Amino acid sequence: MGPFDTAWLASMVLLSVPLLLAATGELISERGGVLNIGLEGMMLSGAFFSFLGVYLWHNVPLGVLTGMGAGVVVALIMALLCVRLRSDQIVVGVGLNLLALGVTTFTFREIFATQAEVRLDYPQPIAIPGLSELPVVGRPLFQQTLLGYLSFVAVGAAWFVLYRTSFGLSLRAAGESPAAADTAGASVNRIRTIGTCVAGALAGAAGAYLSVGRLGIFNEGMTGGRGFLALAAVIFGGWRPLGVMAAALVFGAADALQLRLQSYESIPREVWLVMAMVAAAALVVARLRRGDRDTSVAVTIVGGAVVAVGVALFVIGPEWHFPPQLWLTMPYVLALLALGGLVGRVHMPSALATPYRRGEDT
Amino acid sequence: MNRVSSALLAIAVSFGSAALALAVSYGIIAATGGDPNEAARALWDGAFGSRAQVAGTLSELIPLVLVALGWIVAFSARRINIGFEGQILVGGACATWVALKLSLPHPLHLGLATAAGVLGGAAWVGIAAWLWAKRSVNEIISTLMLNFVAIQLISWLVRGPLQEETRGFPRSAAIPESARWPKLLVATPLAWDLILALAMVVAMWFLLRRTSFGFAIRLTGANEVAARHAGIATTAVTVGALLISGGLAGLAGASLLLGGESTSMTDNFSAGFGFTGIVVALLARGSPWGVVPAALLFAALRQGGGLVEARAGISSALVLITQGLVIVFVAGSQFLLDRQRAVRVDATTPGSGAPLPSGI
Repeated sequence: MGPFDTAWLASMVLLSVPLLLAATGELISERGGVLNIGLEGMMLSGAFFSFLGVYLWHNVPLGVLTGMGAGVVVALIMALLCVRLRSDQIVVGVGLNLLALGVTTFTFREIFATQAEVRLDYPQPIAIPGLSELPVVGRPLFQQTLLGYLSFVAVGAAWFVLYRTSFGLSLRAAGESPAAADTAGASVNRIRTIGTCVAGALAGAAGAYLSVGRLGIFNEGMTGGRGFLALAAVIFGGWRPLGVMAAALVFGAADALQLRLQSYESIPREVWLVMAMVAAAALVVARLRRGDRDTSVAVTIVGGAVVAVGVALFVIGPEWHFPPQLWLTMPYVLALLALGGLVGRVHMPSALATPYRRGEDT
Repeated sequence: MNRVSSALLAIAVSFGSAALALAVSYGIIAATGGDPNEAARALWDGAFGSRAQVAGTLSELIPLVLVALGWIVAFSARRINIGFEGQILVGGACATWVALKLSLPHPLHLGLATAAGVLGGAAWVGIAAWLWAKRSVNEIISTLMLNFVAIQLISWLVRGPLQEETRGFPRSAAIPESARWPKLLVATPLAWDLILALAMVVAMWFLLRRTSFGFAIRLTGANEVAARHAGIATTAVTVGALLISGGLAGLAGASLLLGGESTSMTDNFSAGFGFTGIVVALLARGSPWGVVPAALLFAALRQGGGLVEARAGISSALVLITQGLVIVFVAGSQFLLDRQRAVRVDATTPGSGAPLPSGI
């Protein structure tokens, strides 16, 4: 069906994996109350230091672990400043992003600037016998590298930890009502430190996936805003593991589609049809969920309009040139709409971005 | 502790943070086999060595001052606007649109284009302000997300509706002289918008410290509940503070395109000023006056970094490291000031709320 083929599906999965890893980490951190703007910097550190690790030791798993370790180091700085010293999380996050961009670029130039582009060995995908021969979804889903599979495992693990362990309960309490968590005997600062470090480790892995996981190369600033895209995925996913996974896949799918559409002369009709179908499906889900009346009227109007426009454009099939830049605003617009309650309902952890100090009732 | 000694401590902490960041960078140069003294000389020459270099540094100062003031106004109402990059871009795009599409005589054209920039920046933060006021959306997240929407929008504009006629490059047509700031120093990038930026420093100090609206902003920031009981329309005041904040960033965007070296709008002309401006505000500890010296430091680093790379062979990425370190040190030393402030509150007014925000 036009641009929606197996190659698109494969590209969608490849583009979703780093988002999925980073967003899952950020989810854990944010559910504990730490808004980690430094995610981009943690990812970039993971990308560079895993590259450096593989370059030095010629061992991909060891390199990936180095990248994760680098992410954790950045996270520990974040935790020291924001959790222990109660500095502003946003300010520190902005600083760590600058610092990570500076350190990785500087070190990369120091070590590699004098040589020709270094290309490292990268891991071959592992096909799961049987499943990888399934039609359509077989190759995209079941012929990935280890890190690709682990990203989906990480979502499941995040769900399990958040909702089925006492640590997860304490973590969610630390993000909703730190004073209550403290009263119940949980150490808010320790829990938040662990949450931040999980974000660092997974963001490091996400960065490693970008550099050594698929291509074996590193470019300056190669994360290119994917850390922020992962932040948007956490928001659009409504701070829930499965929602975050869906958001990461949607963003990956959208990215894969825009890459393909750039080679088309005008936007193919299938795109409009899929747009109408997705909007209709979203509308049905929204109706089944039953939000407050005010919101559901707005959702119906917006969703209905999108469906109508999609169908109309499918019938007309106008010769429009595809503007990829406008398309790339979509994840952020979706996150804003979700925050504003126009697409689904999301609940932000109440104590997000608020440092905890015993004896202050916030 | 009295006000003077607490202000002195804040200044000492800022100087300490900047000095420590510079010292670490010095150490990094030495550790990687460079000559830090040579680099320091190159930095000085690059930033202040000649008339042209000074002019370059001062034109880098302009957007930094404006963005830092924007942070301070929003933060006085305890709102965090990290969408300056987006507001600069949208403000600059609006200014470019007026500059290219209207044909007017000189001061009027420049004035209208600048006003369009201010309105564009304010409108862009206005989305976040509306979401905050009406839908209780956290403004940190919304302003951050709006940055990325703006980046793509501007990237589209310079390849679409605002692209120059030959369609060869992703940039707008040249901005006409009638919409440009006259030069302050001939044959340099420095234009009269420097004076405007410095006037804004005074204006924002006056607004926050000498007007009832400024008092309402600070009271809302210090204690929203108390402010409401005192009859202040806190939501409107906060939205107002955010709009001013975005307007200042929009002004920075307009000034980047109508003054300075650039002759047309390109991708990413905000060039990180939106984030460096936040560093400036933090280093200034929320004081409009402190913004000028803090901005001068970062303008010098940005301007001089090029010569450091050319002459001493040290990557300009070191400037990013220095900036990041300043933020980390300033943020990390906040607890020193908090502790002192807590002592002061306890000693004078037991059980009362926090004092009015004067710093961060």
